[in-house]
Amino acid sequence: MARPGNKIIQAKLVLLGDMGTGKTSLVLRFIKGQFYDHQEPTIGAAFFTQILSLTEATVKFDIWDTAGQERYHSLAPMYYRGAAAAVVVYDISSTDTFNRAKKWVQELHRQGNQNLVMALVGNKSDLNSHREVEAEEAEQFAQESGMFYMETSAKTAQNINELFYEIAKRLARISPPRSSGITLNHETPDKRRRFCCIG
Amino acid sequence: MYGTQSKRDLALELQAQVPFLRPSIHARRANITVKFQDLYGFTVEGNVDDVNVLNEVREKVREQGRVWWALEASKGANWYLQPQISSISEGIALKSSLKLSNFANAITLKKLIRKGIPPVLRPKVWFSLSGAAKKKSTVPESYYDDLIKAVEDKVTPATKQIDHDLPRTFPGHPWLDTPEGHAALRRVLVGYSFRDSDVGYCQGLNYVAALLLLVMKTEEDAFWMLAVLLENVLVSDCYTNNLSGCHVEQRVFKDLLVKQCPRIASHLEALEFDVSLVATEWFLCLFSKSLPSETTLRVWDVLFYEGAKVLFHVALAIFKMKEEELLLTHHVGDVINILQKTTHHLFDPDELLTVAFDKVGSMTTNAISKHRKKQEPAVMAELDQRLRRLNSLRVDDK
Repeated sequence: MARPGNKIIQAKLVLLGDMGTGKTSLVLRFIKGQFYDHQEPTIGAAFFTQILSLTEATVKFDIWDTAGQERYHSLAPMYYRGAAAAVVVYDISSTDTFNRAKKWVQELHRQGNQNLVMALVGNKSDLNSHREVEAEEAEQFAQESGMFYMETSAKTAQNINELFYEIAKRLARISPPRSSGITLNHETPDKRRRFCCIG
Repeated sequence: MYGTQSKRDLALELQAQVPFLRPSIHARRANITVKFQDLYGFTVEGNVDDVNVLNEVREKVREQGRVWWALEASKGANWYLQPQISSISEGIALKSSLKLSNFANAITLKKLIRKGIPPVLRPKVWFSLSGAAKKKSTVPESYYDDLIKAVEDKVTPATKQIDHDLPRTFPGHPWLDTPEGHAALRRVLVGYSFRDSDVGYCQGLNYVAALLLLVMKTEEDAFWMLAVLLENVLVSDCYTNNLSGCHVEQRVFKDLLVKQCPRIASHLEALEFDVSLVATEWFLCLFSKSLPSETTLRVWDVLFYEGAKVLFHVALAIFKMKEEELLLTHHVGDVINILQKTTHHLFDPDELLTVAFDKVGSMTTNAISKHRKKQEPAVMAELDQRLRRLNSLRVDDK
């Protein structure tokens, strides 16, 4: 996948958001192209990897898909610690989940990584007829919060690849290797390389 | 109400549907993956070796059944229910009046249970030995029916979450994923959310309760098993509010891993891999989401008799079994892949339990309690600090 001389970015990505907003479905659509109407609830978190090749870089994602139920909140720092990108997901047909998403964004701002690439994702765009959260409102909140906004549907695959490509592009744009959560290297296999994405 | 009969029919049907699996010669050559239903109706994907292992396991289950029948024949039908016998596992001092034969029975029972309770005897043995029978006997006969009737039309945050999760709990299972299965699971979970409003509903319990429903003969017994599990077997507060009990168990597990598998522990530390990343799900779902069904239930056989320390034994065993492979990893993803692959393919329960109890050093319930006491203040302080930070966020917000 990686072209010779192309820079490799290893990036930890975390998905956060209320239960049933479709975090796992987003990931499964992105990675396997699959969608299930009844996706089993995630307990703790699930881990996935995926590689995206851009012209400017190859991004290797380590994806942590977390449990959404409120009481699992206390586990979240373990998963977002050291992340290079965060995807905060809500369901466009539920205001409650949008409010919960706002709280996640605030918490992420507090955790200190200035370079964190953040996306606000209104999922289930196929449920437009049941919409409770207007795109303009979400867009505005995203802008104020320094994140980009996208509406997706894991069910129809709308904007799923676009979402992860946009994140990859932004990660590639961010400068040098020092920033937490990102490793830049030129394919030099170094066994003692410190794994910097979890910590 | 819940159709006991129909579920029993289903169990029979499932057993009938699963003939002795004979992978074709073509399958053997191609080493292809096959899909089939296991003893409890779950669809399993495995290769030919897995199928062979499952066939051996079926044979072992039959043998184990013969051992239990022989014991019933010689010692009487409910020999394992004598109180002195069941109390041994709890470390209660033996009464001087205890006869040697009882003591011998208790040793036999512990060994027998580690080798597995035959599926037909599971409902009866679990119900008695876990303390569920005793718990049920302290309330009026109609407790469960009354509870279910009283709460059936109530809507709470817990009931909404339960309704959301019903079709998502082992989707595709031939009984659980039917209107009848959903309704039974709903009653058990909703009933429990009212019995203990501190727990209410915690995701993870859906898987546990579903498996209990598959094993126990009646829905009511499944409810009492859930109750005894949360109220007596497991450490308290595993599923409440901020999962503090679960945080404590994770810290204890890390301590134990350092002691019992020091090489793995230091290697994972070098990778900055926190074992809770994978072990949290194991402890909250009691392995039901990671191990094959019969293996999970074999773990539960011991769990209900010997207590929550069993979870540590099993979790340590999974790491120990793959020690050499784990030591070669350089990346978090590889660690997770090894562990996931291992758990999903553990079709032979004895392979796991032999390591869990013979290779993992013995740990008394007392020693584990000490570990827990040591970790509790740190967990509480951490959770408290986090809560204050979040609250301050909300103030800033205004």
